[in-house]
Formats: sequence, structure tokens, C-alpha cells
Amino acid sequence: MSQTPQLLFKNRKPGQTVFLKDFTANGGYEGLRTAVGTMTPAAIRELVKAAALRGRGGAGFPTGVKWGFFPADKPGPKYLVCNCDEMEPGTYKDGVLLQADPHQLIEGMIISAFALQTQVGYIFIRYAYEKQAENLRRAITEATQAGYLGKNILGSGFDFELHVHGSAGRYILGEETALLNGLEGIRPNPRLKPPFPAMRGLFGQPTTVNNVETLANIPHIVTGGAQWFKDLALTVDGSGTKLFGLSGHLNCTECFELPVGISLREVIETYGQGIWKNKQFKACLPGGASTPYLTREHMDVPLDFAPLEQVGSRFGTAGVTAFDEDTCMVAATLNLISFFARESCGWCTPCRDGLTMVRWLLETLESGRGTHEHLEMLKDQLTNISGKSFCALAEGAMGPLAGLLNHFEQEIVDHIDRGHCPFSK
Amino acid sequence: MPTLTIDNQTITVSEGKTILEAAEALGIMVPHFCYHKELGAVGACRMCAVTVHSGQMPGLKMACLVPVEEGMVVTTGDEASATFRDRVGEWLMLNHPHDCPVCDEGGECQLQEMTISSGHGIRRYQGDKGTYTNQDLGPFIAQEMNRCIQCYRCARTYKDYCGGRDFGVMGSRNRVFFGRFKDGMLESDFSGNLVDVCPTGVFTDRTFRFKSRSWDLEQADSVCPHCGVGCATIPGGRLRELQRVCSGDNPQVNATFICDRGRFGSGYVSHPERPRQARHNDQVISIDDALIELDAQIGAAVQQHGPEAVLLLGSDRASLETNWLLQSAAKHFGCRVPVLNAHARRHQTAQMAAFDFSASLASLEDIRNSDLTLVFGVDPLAEAPILALALRQMVRKQGRVLLYDPRPVELPCDFDHQAYSPAALQELLEDGGVEGRHLRDLLAQAERPVIVAGADLLGPRGLQLLQGWTTGAANAERPCRFYPVLAGANSFGTALLSLPEQDDLLTRLEGGKVKMLVCVENDPLLEAPLGERFAAALTRLDSLVVVDYLPTSLGAHANLFVPSCPPFEDDGTFINNEGRLRRYRRVLKPGLTLAHTDQGGHPPREFSLATPGSEPMPTALLLQRLIGQKPDMNALHRQMVEQQPRLEPLLKLKPGDPGVRVGSAVARPQNIDKLPEQPAGTFQMVVSAARYGSDLLSRFAEKLAPRLTPTRLGLHPDDLVERGLKDGAPAVVETDFGSFKLTVASRPGMAAGCALVENSGDCPQLIPGAELSYCHISPGGADE
Amino acid sequence: MTAIESQTTSHLLDQNTLAEFIRHAGEIEHPREMIIDVLRAIQLHHGWVPDEGVELTASVLGLTPVEVEEIATFYDKIFRRPVGRFVIHLCDSICCWTRGAEEIALHLKKVLGIAFGQTTEDGLFTLLPSCCLGCCGIAPAVMIRQEFYGPLTPEKVDELIAALRKEASA
Repeated sequence: MSQTPQLLFKNRKPGQTVFLKDFTANGGYEGLRTAVGTMTPAAIRELVKAAALRGRGGAGFPTGVKWGFFPADKPGPKYLVCNCDEMEPGTYKDGVLLQADPHQLIEGMIISAFALQTQVGYIFIRYAYEKQAENLRRAITEATQAGYLGKNILGSGFDFELHVHGSAGRYILGEETALLNGLEGIRPNPRLKPPFPAMRGLFGQPTTVNNVETLANIPHIVTGGAQWFKDLALTVDGSGTKLFGLSGHLNCTECFELPVGISLREVIETYGQGIWKNKQFKACLPGGASTPYLTREHMDVPLDFAPLEQVGSRFGTAGVTAFDEDTCMVAATLNLISFFARESCGWCTPCRDGLTMVRWLLETLESGRGTHEHLEMLKDQLTNISGKSFCALAEGAMGPLAGLLNHFEQEIVDHIDRGHCPFSK
Repeated sequence: MPTLTIDNQTITVSEGKTILEAAEALGIMVPHFCYHKELGAVGACRMCAVTVHSGQMPGLKMACLVPVEEGMVVTTGDEASATFRDRVGEWLMLNHPHDCPVCDEGGECQLQEMTISSGHGIRRYQGDKGTYTNQDLGPFIAQEMNRCIQCYRCARTYKDYCGGRDFGVMGSRNRVFFGRFKDGMLESDFSGNLVDVCPTGVFTDRTFRFKSRSWDLEQADSVCPHCGVGCATIPGGRLRELQRVCSGDNPQVNATFICDRGRFGSGYVSHPERPRQARHNDQVISIDDALIELDAQIGAAVQQHGPEAVLLLGSDRASLETNWLLQSAAKHFGCRVPVLNAHARRHQTAQMAAFDFSASLASLEDIRNSDLTLVFGVDPLAEAPILALALRQMVRKQGRVLLYDPRPVELPCDFDHQAYSPAALQELLEDGGVEGRHLRDLLAQAERPVIVAGADLLGPRGLQLLQGWTTGAANAERPCRFYPVLAGANSFGTALLSLPEQDDLLTRLEGGKVKMLVCVENDPLLEAPLGERFAAALTRLDSLVVVDYLPTSLGAHANLFVPSCPPFEDDGTFINNEGRLRRYRRVLKPGLTLAHTDQGGHPPREFSLATPGSEPMPTALLLQRLIGQKPDMNALHRQMVEQQPRLEPLLKLKPGDPGVRVGSAVARPQNIDKLPEQPAGTFQMVVSAARYGSDLLSRFAEKLAPRLTPTRLGLHPDDLVERGLKDGAPAVVETDFGSFKLTVASRPGMAAGCALVENSGDCPQLIPGAELSYCHISPGGADE
Repeated sequence: MTAIESQTTSHLLDQNTLAEFIRHAGEIEHPREMIIDVLRAIQLHHGWVPDEGVELTASVLGLTPVEVEEIATFYDKIFRRPVGRFVIHLCDSICCWTRGAEEIALHLKKVLGIAFGQTTEDGLFTLLPSCCLGCCGIAPAVMIRQEFYGPLTPEKVDELIAALRKEASA
């Protein structure tokens, strides 16, 4: 087992939430002091770029580059928004983080707001995370009373106010422009880009949207430095640690902070303590419901953005959902597609109606009523939906479908040939 | 100006155009649903996929979203994009019912066309279809949600373009619903546009339901006759019935939208009481005999009493040709020049627009692109509804609207409203003090300023004052444009044709020399103020002749009546508020509808050689026959242009064209009158058009009945308190035009010291556009 | 007291909360951003959001009812139809599915005698399928009143239902 330095989980105690007293006792808000006391906003932005931090919300876009598009020096209202609409199946790490240590996010947001020169911040949090929202509200009150939030933060002359904004349960809100619409109280369909949020975001003003874990990393980068942060990863190009939420057919389904670049084998065997019921590993979603399956042949792939793209999958959110040998991958994919079809916002045709079509095809195949014609149609749907929808939701839905067709086509054929699901009891 | 190649054809288009627009310019139709040239591109339907072969990001792209680039190479028929479009067609049809045989949209359904053009033909999906419960959206719009393909055009039109707030998008995923919160009549004055923009049969014209297949309709490019905006329309008729009106497309005027008054207000064409036979006293006679009688009567009167004895009256709802021919007829018979508008003050104001502002007139497109528009004395939704939409579009583009008007004006957009009384408004325009200087500064600073002025409220005096504003705000780099809001479809045209020295109708009638009045498509009792004096003057005539298609009471009292045709049954020309000549073409021949001849049954049980009710003849034709001129429209136009060079564009004008501005004229010297003094204890009268039922045409359109509101006396809440009046209680209003008992309505948004009456047929004597006058108000009688 | 606060709204929302919403809406530049807050507060108070709840939200925020309805009907966790006292959101997404959510669903349906989307006759329970609740580590799981319960077995479901019934009868 690797000894990973614990950054994000350094204060984590089972069943407890760390608030201001314990947080500051363990070095909390030191990053903020350093940032507003000794650094310029531009220097922080450069530091984050040098640290090669990549977005932890799933897309993995380099945070420093994203911040580079932001008109930090432009006068007028600007917003920093934290995306805590963690709703992708298999992904629960932000919830765990905020259950353990809400101040860490708040400190990260204040430093980021200073770096981007935004005066107002929102934490957009999913409906199910009411406990975490309560933690955040309490932490905001504490931070405000302690002078970390509000006017003239730590005597720096910088003002920042932070609000928690609730949701009411839809996956699409995790798409950053849909989230902005949701925040504004209009229908949360994704927006046409360009203009990007950095130019026209919340209420039409420049806005940056970052994930919880991304923002929580900022204080550590400020205190530890860019090179230290990069060196935390096991891969050359990688950077930092990552919260891995384990789920599915594993003996241990918990959330761990592990180095970026750790192998799938170590995650499954060491942290997940192997497949349950003494069964064999068959496949997994490496980073949430939208990432193409990894199989036995991928056990030694380092879990990082580039290596996973090379094997046709994605790092995503590092929510690892494992499947045992008795799992019907057609049924698993049907479950995933049903999720995406149900969570479609209804804006564009490939997602709204295309996913309905895919779901019907998978239902037909899984039930054993399918034919080779249906299999061909399924392949054709993959070709025609991938890369052609308005936002990334349908694109994400194609991840597991691509995985199914790439690695488990024979399983579909077995359904067709036998006229029933080969895994059904 | 990038040059690109689409399907091996090369085209150069302006910067910022999309592939879709470039393809359209080449005549290549890329299938699409959510894209609409006025609503823009939103990338929702994904139907317009094409393949881009060049540039940094080649591949399948949505043609509506990708701006053209220099050297771009695009194909629309390649396998990848054609297959994808086929799939989009298949996906869109997953839930669509196969009810084309009973669907009103059939035959003009974009979904039918695009499904075929996308190549999707055979249904493969065998899953369940979604179904919806429809809403009752009122008498105009029928909803059939099962047919919806979620292109979002309806919501973008109703909410975004038109500013309606009682219609929206509900639900999500593949259960999206477009409608109201609850059943009920759509509130927007532009609700009918849902019918035009819906690409399939979700929103159809309820008044047209199950009447005709689109291919059976007789349709023609037309101009809406309901107000001075002159929107492009495409009316459709069948079985001698005008069955519907759709919006036409005029980029300079209405773009592709019309208001509900124009769309649903054509009932007068087939009004059951529409006069269709000529009548001499109580005898029905033939049209030929009526013309012989008319010729004889005019001849005799002129011979006996001189040129003053016969007065011909034209109309701002009659065509330019009709009004011109009336002038020709006057020459022919040797009588004095005709009066072309019974409403003298409206006519004078229209002349201001037609002569003194002719060089700086704004189109509605200019307003849509303006950054600052000052509106003086206009309630756009009542007087020129599409103007309200133009103002909304400029506000959506960050433009600013400042409106000065005594009425509690509503607009479907943000705007600054200052409730000035009519007298205060005149003062503002005359001197203006601080506010006036501020406004002039704003105009001077604006990049594309426009002044909009209401002819009815401001009158000639207000427009004269605004001339200084317009010329003052113009500079070497850019003009300051001016948009007059006139009352009639052809107010501008009648004003342009009129000779400046002409006396007004009432003066000439009361002068006592007139023995015979020929009213052509004009009822001075309903279309001009001071109706009582008109009525008295009419009793002194030897003969009253009425030529009209409306069942007015004046027509019923005429000594000689000749039925004519509305614009839908005639070819002609109107000149709209901005001096734009617009041609309209005949849609239908006159005739009684089957509904009238046989209670809607088919075929009719009575047979005759002539179509029942087909006697009426277009007025222009009647006049040409009267003066012995050949019915040759081109010859007539040449004649008109010869004598009135400003009408030169007439020669090239075609129906359906965006139209051409008349030539400009030299502004005339001004003579600004004083306002009448206000007697103590009185209110300033504000007689306003109502949104529905003020123009004579819509008063005879039964479809609009659900939108009519009873006439009330609007007062500022402070005035209510001061006069001991109560909201909802009766009050007596004593005016120069008679005494009226009206229910009081508290109107917080209006100017204090004013009495607002919206004219909608309840008080036909109160006609908008009269000279500023004052009234006394007292609580109503004891009987209520 | 504003016109909005009245007897006719007291069943929808606690009057102090309502007053606070009205005050806050008057202070901020974009009151519309409060739609979800107000709808959730009404739901918390009333159990679900009836038409009058949509209309009340609209009047508090200066919107039309359909502008609120557009939002209310988009989100899964706003109920526009009556629900039982305990709404059981059963996760049917992949992680819970791998660990027996379908079995739990069958058991819940059997125990409660209802199908998904239905409410028990005594008005106590409504059973709804839900997308991932973020309980992937304790799958299979349900959410009731924003509290999570998992990993569930049929036995634990029985205990949970019994405890809730007991709470209701107390």
C-alpha cells in the first residue's frame, strides 16, 4: 500500500465534521494568509497553472488554463461558482469531503476568488447533500466571524461574500452552463458556447465554475508549491492526489485519497480489498458512469488522464465502480443508459430522443428478443450520437455504450443467440 | 467577406454569416427545425448537420452554429451528414403520431418535409410513444402536444421574441411540454405567431381548424389593413370565405410576425350583414344601374349648383389607386378637389409625416436596430402593435426606450415611462426645460437614435415641434430617424395625394354649398370626431352616396349605395407609416360563403349562373367605370407617377416585395398654434385607441370578440380620491363630444389630471385624434 | 402585512419564513434565483407544492406562475402532486444496482403494497425511483427526508418501515 500524503482528507475523522477550531489548529487558513498576504492574484494564477492541477469534476480541464481565460482585471461584477452538483453515478467524493471538512473548500474558494478578483461566490450543491450544505452554511458563518470572509479579508482590502445555493435534483446541473441557469432560476438547459462563462456567465457576467475537489486543492498548492504538488502524482504528467470513491462489487466501498497515477490493480485489490464474494473482476467504470469500461487487461493502467485516454477510457471523477464476473454488461449498460436518458434535460434531439432509442435497443437485446439487426442499430446509434449532441451529457452516455461494444460485443451476441440473458438466474 | 465552397458551389457572404445562411443563399436547403431566421440559431434540433472538410476542426457540424470562414469547404450530401440527419429524423419521429391525415398542418408541415428530405422513411423503433394531455389555450390557438418535436420555437417566439409571460416550457427529458400554467386564453397580443412558427401541428389556428387543406387555399401576398404599420400578410381563402391570415415576411417592417388583431380580425370580409347589392333609396338595383344613377346625379348637381355642390370623400383605409381615382373623378365631373380623410386633424398630422419628415423616416427594422428610441404619445400595443415588438427587439439588444405618454402604457419589454398629460407633453416638446434638454442630449449621444411620435395624441402641433428635435439630433455622421404612428393603413398615402389648400370635410359640409356627398369607404360618423355635427350636416344634403364593404349605419341611410370590396378582394397599394409603398394582391373573388348560402352544407341547393353575393366590385374598378377609364392597373400607375413623381417606385412594385419608400418632399414652413386654455376643474381628455375594437375593421370581426374589453373611464388614483370617485363606480363625463356615463377604473400608471377613455365601439362618438379638449367628471347617477 | 401574507397561504408556508423570503427578494438584484429555495420551503411545510404554492412563489418573486412552473416541473425533487408523509427515494443507478437495488425495490413494493410513483392508502409512504443519491459507498440505499439509509437488506427495509410507522403513530 502506498503511503499517500493526505491533503484533502488530512482532517477527516470517521463520522465527524471538522469545523473552524480544529481546522485552524491543523494549519487551516494558512494558505489564505499566504495568498492574500504575500502573493498577487496573478502570481496565484501562475502557481496553479504551474502545479498542472486538472479539474476534478470529470472533464479534467487544466484549472490554470481555465483561469487564464478569466478577465480577472476587468472591473465590474464577476463570480466564482463551486460546482457541488455531484450526481454522476459512482461519484460521491465531494460529498465525503464536505461531510468531513467544509472549511477546506471555503478556504480554497477565497483564495481562488482573490486570484480571479471575484467579489461574490456561490456553492451550488445538490439536493441530496443537505447535511453538507448545513456544514457549509455553518462554516461560512464561522469564517465570516473570523474575518476570512466578508469585507477586507485579513486586512488585505479584498472583499468576498459566499452563498450556498440549493438544487432540487437533476444531473444536468453538473454541466457548468446549466448550473448557471439553475442558479439564476431559469430552466437549466446548457447554454450555447461561445460565449463561455469566463466572458458571459452568471447573470451575464464573467464567471468561473470549478469543482469542489479542484478548489479544495488550491490552499495546498499555495502552501506546498507547484513542484511539490506535481510530485505527489505517480505519473510524470500527472499532478496531485485524487479522491477515489469506490463502489460496486468490491469488499470495501469507501472513499480514499490516493496519488494520481495509482494503478487500477492497487485500487481494486488493495483499497477495494478485492471483488466481493471471492469472485473475479470483470470490468469497471474508472471515473463515473460516463467513462468507458476498463477490463481485466487494464489492471496495470495508471489511473490518470492521459493513460486512460490511451486505452479508450477517461479518468473522469475517479469514482471506480467494479463489476464481478457474473455481471451482465448489457444489463449494466442498460442501467447506465436509463440513467442518462432520464436525466436528459430535453434540449437536443440526440440526447432526448436518441437515448430513448438506445435504451429501447438495449432493453430489447437484454430481454433476449433482440436480433443482429438490433445490434447493428446499436452500433449505428453510437456513431451518430457520439460528438453530435449539444452538451456532454449524451456524449457521456456513449462512454459505457462504447465500452460495451468494444469489449463485450460477444455478450450481446450471446443474448441474441440464446434468446435470453446468459446471466439470468 | 469570406468565400467558401458548399457542395462544389462557391459563394462569398458577409462576415458572421453561418454555413446554413450561406447554403440558403446558394439555394441549397439544409434541413432544420430550431433555426429560424428571426429567432436565430440555438443548436437544439441537430437537424442541420453538414460536413466541414477544412480548417482546424473538420468534421460533422451544425450548419446553423458555425460561422463561415475563408476557404471553407462544406458538403451537405456526404454520407456522414446525410446519415446523421436521417437519424435525427428518426429520433424526432419516435413519439410523433402518424395522424397526418387528420392534422391541420398536413401539406404545409415542416416536419413532413424535413422527414422526407432527411431520408427517414421506415420506422424501426417499436417502443412506447409518449402522450400528453392538451390544454385549452382559448379561441385562437389549438394545441395538440402529441405532435411536438421539441424544437422550442414556440417558447422562443412567445417568450423571447414577443415577451409573453404566460407560456413556457415545462417538464424535461423526453417529457417536455409547451403551454400555460393552467388552461386559458393566451394573453399575448401576438399569440397567433405560434401557428406560423410551429414546424408541425402542435399549435394550429383554431379559427381555421378543419376548414381547408393548405393546398386548396387561394393565397396571395397582402398587406394588413388594420393599422398604419402595414405588415406583410398571406391571407388564405376557400369556398368564398377568408379563412385565415398568416404572417408574410417583410424584413423592413414586421419581419415574420403579425399581431392577433391583424391575424384574427378579418371577419368583416364575410360578415353576415356585409352589403352586397347596390341600392337606390329602397330599391335594389344592379351595379351598372347604380353607376348610371351616380353619373347622372353628380352631373346634374354640378350643372345645377356648381363645382362646390358635389363633395367626394376618400379614405385612409382605401387604396392609393382608389383615392387617386377619386381625384380623377372630381376632375372628370368638374367638381372641387375631394377630401381624402374625414378626420381633419389626423389628415393634417399625416401630411406632416408625408411631407415634412419624408427625408428622415425610420423603418421598423431601423427601430429594431436602434440604441435609443424616444416614444412620444404612443401606446404601441393599441396603435401599432408590431411597433411594440420592434421596441422589444431593440431592448433585447441593449437598446433603451424612453416613453412619454399620459396612458398607463404597457410594453413587452423594459422601458422608462413618464406619464405626461397631453398638455405637458406639448410643453416638453416645445421647450422641455431640464427634461427636454436631457432628452436632446441623449439623442445627440446615441448612435442610432429614433423618435417615434403618435399622430393621434400629438397632432400636427406636436409633430411640428418634433421636427426641430429630429433635425437637431442629426449630424454629419448619422441621421436621427423619425417614425410617425398614423391611424390608417393608407393614412400616409391619402396625405401624400392631398393638395395642401384643401378644406376639411366638416367646414365644407357646414358651408352649406354641398348638395351631394359621396363617401368612399369612409363613415365620418364612426371615423372622425364631432359626429353629431356631421350628422346634422348630413341631413341638409340632397343626396348621400356611400360606397363601402362594411355594414355601417351610414350605408344603410344612403340614398344611393354601391357595394365595394375589401383589400382581400382587390389589387391595390397602401403607403405605410414610414412612407413605404406596399402592393397587395387579390386573394378571393367576392361571394357569399357556403356558410351563408347553405349553413355550411355542401353542395348548395340553389343554382344560378352567377356566384351568390358576387356583385360587389373593387372601388377602383367602380371609379374607373364611372369615369370611363379602362381597367388597366399599369396604365393607371403610369398616370399617377406622371403627375406625382414621388410615387415613382409604383411602377416596379410587386406584391410580396418589402416595398419601396416614396420619394422625399421638401419640408414646409411651420406655424405653431397655441394650445386651448384649460378651464378650472376640468380634466384633459385622452381618447385612446383600444387594443381591440377601435379600428373599424376589427369592430366587424367577430373572432376578436373574446379580446374586447368594455370602455371605462380611466383616472389616476389621486384624482379618484380628490373627486370622491370610486374604482368600479359609475361617473358622468361631460365632453365637447357629448355626455357619457362610464364605469370608473383606477389606473395607477397614467398621468394625473387626465380622463382616459379607450374607444372600442361602446362610445363611438369618442374618436381618438381630436384636438386637445377638456371634460368635467362627476360621480354617476343614483340609479347605480 | 403584505397582501401575500394571508390565511390562504398559511398552509403553504410558515408566515415568518414567507416574510423573510419577501424581505430577501426585495433586497437582491435577481430574486428569481430564489425559486428553488421558496419551492423547497413550501414543500417542507406542506409536503408537496400545489398550484397555489407555484402561484405564491411567483408573487413573492415578481414572476408569473408559468415562469415558476417551468422550474418546478424540471426538477425531480419538487413534487407537484400529493405525496405521502415519507417519500422513499430508492436509488436505481449503477452502484446500488450492482448491490441489489432491484431486490430492495421488489421488497419495498411488496411490503408497502404499491408500485413506483404510488402512495400507500394510509398516506404514509410514497415510493419513487431516484438517480444516484451519492450513497455509492453504502449501496443499496434510499433517501427519506434527506437522510440516507444503507446498505439495505430486505430485513433492514422492514426495520426501517416499522420505525417510520411507529414514528407516524406516535
